[in-house]
Amino acid sequence: MTNETRRRWGRILLVAGRIALAVIFIYAAYAKMKPQPGMPNTLGSVKTSLSMFAMGVDSYQMLPPWAVSPFAHLLPPFELLLGLWLLSGIGLRISGLISTALICAFIAAMYSAYERGLTISCGCFGPGAQIGPKDLIRDGLLFLPLALAVTIGAFLIHRKRGAATLPQAAPSATHAD
Amino acid sequence: MIHGTKVWLALISLGLSFATGAGAQTAISDPKPATTTKATTPAAKNGTKPAAQLGAPVMSYGSSTAPITMEVFTDYECPSCRALFEQTLRPMIADYVANGKVRLVHHDFPLPPPGHHYSGQAARWANAAARVGEFAAVEAALYDNQPALEANGSLEKFVAAAMSAEDFKRVEKEMQGCVAPGPTSNPSGGVNFAPSRGACSLDTHIEQDIMLGEKVPVAATPTYVISYKGTRLPAGSGIVSWPILKQFFDSLLSQ
Repeated sequence: MTNETRRRWGRILLVAGRIALAVIFIYAAYAKMKPQPGMPNTLGSVKTSLSMFAMGVDSYQMLPPWAVSPFAHLLPPFELLLGLWLLSGIGLRISGLISTALICAFIAAMYSAYERGLTISCGCFGPGAQIGPKDLIRDGLLFLPLALAVTIGAFLIHRKRGAATLPQAAPSATHAD
Repeated sequence: MIHGTKVWLALISLGLSFATGAGAQTAISDPKPATTTKATTPAAKNGTKPAAQLGAPVMSYGSSTAPITMEVFTDYECPSCRALFEQTLRPMIADYVANGKVRLVHHDFPLPPPGHHYSGQAARWANAAARVGEFAAVEAALYDNQPALEANGSLEKFVAAAMSAEDFKRVEKEMQGCVAPGPTSNPSGGVNFAPSRGACSLDTHIEQDIMLGEKVPVAATPTYVISYKGTRLPAGSGIVSWPILKQFFDSLLSQ
């Protein structure tokens, strides 16, 4: 496989990884904000869903009481914009780093809850099943490596671009005959 | 694209996300400190059968016409259930239940041993008390004395202390034939029937609650199901603080 082919495949995989990561964050945001079944499609229902997410955040018993509600109301829109940011491909190094840090924080929170024996809902994609090894494996072996791959890929691409644009060394003075 | 423009776009995106979140939080007010009170609010007397949300409730607080119904599946030996009762349900009963905004329905979901030796029998005592209109007092007594209860299972003592001698005699009569242990949930599904099942008329209600919990499904206690004007929302579990729960109720009531 030539270097050019390798580079092309690398770019294709980076784009695919970026899009996959973006879809995950956008879906996570949608699942947290969408009106619950039976509720009307109104802003009020979105607020209700966010308040319900706040209850899920509260059940982790990790944040002080005053921080639960602001965190729960800010996280889903942040995930949505992060997903859109990843999709755009702009500033991929930064968006990749933020994605990786966020996923690490989620894994730490889930592990902490699991370790303390809290039988609560993950809340990752809306209200649902209890936190268990399945969620930790999904995030730890699927989402985190994807985010890391996108971030590392973005840095590598940036480094190669930087090397390619370095000015060529000036030719030495011609020898006198 | 110029590098500086990329940075500005990124910063604008982040700023928009914060603005969106802040907009969604306009209804939030500073949470007031929860006031804990002993359960002196009226409980539904035995015989009142309000419209079923998940099933026929036996033990409840508040008006059947309340727009919000919260059904809680608990175990009297579960520390998280105790924390939920003390920190959340008590102030809720004193506030939103008393004001007709919420109806609280209790369902038994006694967990099996180990670690829950007396939960089935505690559920029987609570059901017996509900039959004579003393459920609120007994529920409070069982949770308030949970550490002592777990030490020696002296349920009778705590139940007796929660009511008059005359009422306790009526409760004892309801408990006739209900020899420990009581029924519990089965981790594989279904009910662990009590050995004295045939002799104890209270077991039917507990078993019905357990089967109802299986449909939710209840994977752990406490688990709660909230319904708003007949629309049942996804179940939640674990401890939720009163200010956060109150905020959720307010968002429902504002619709």
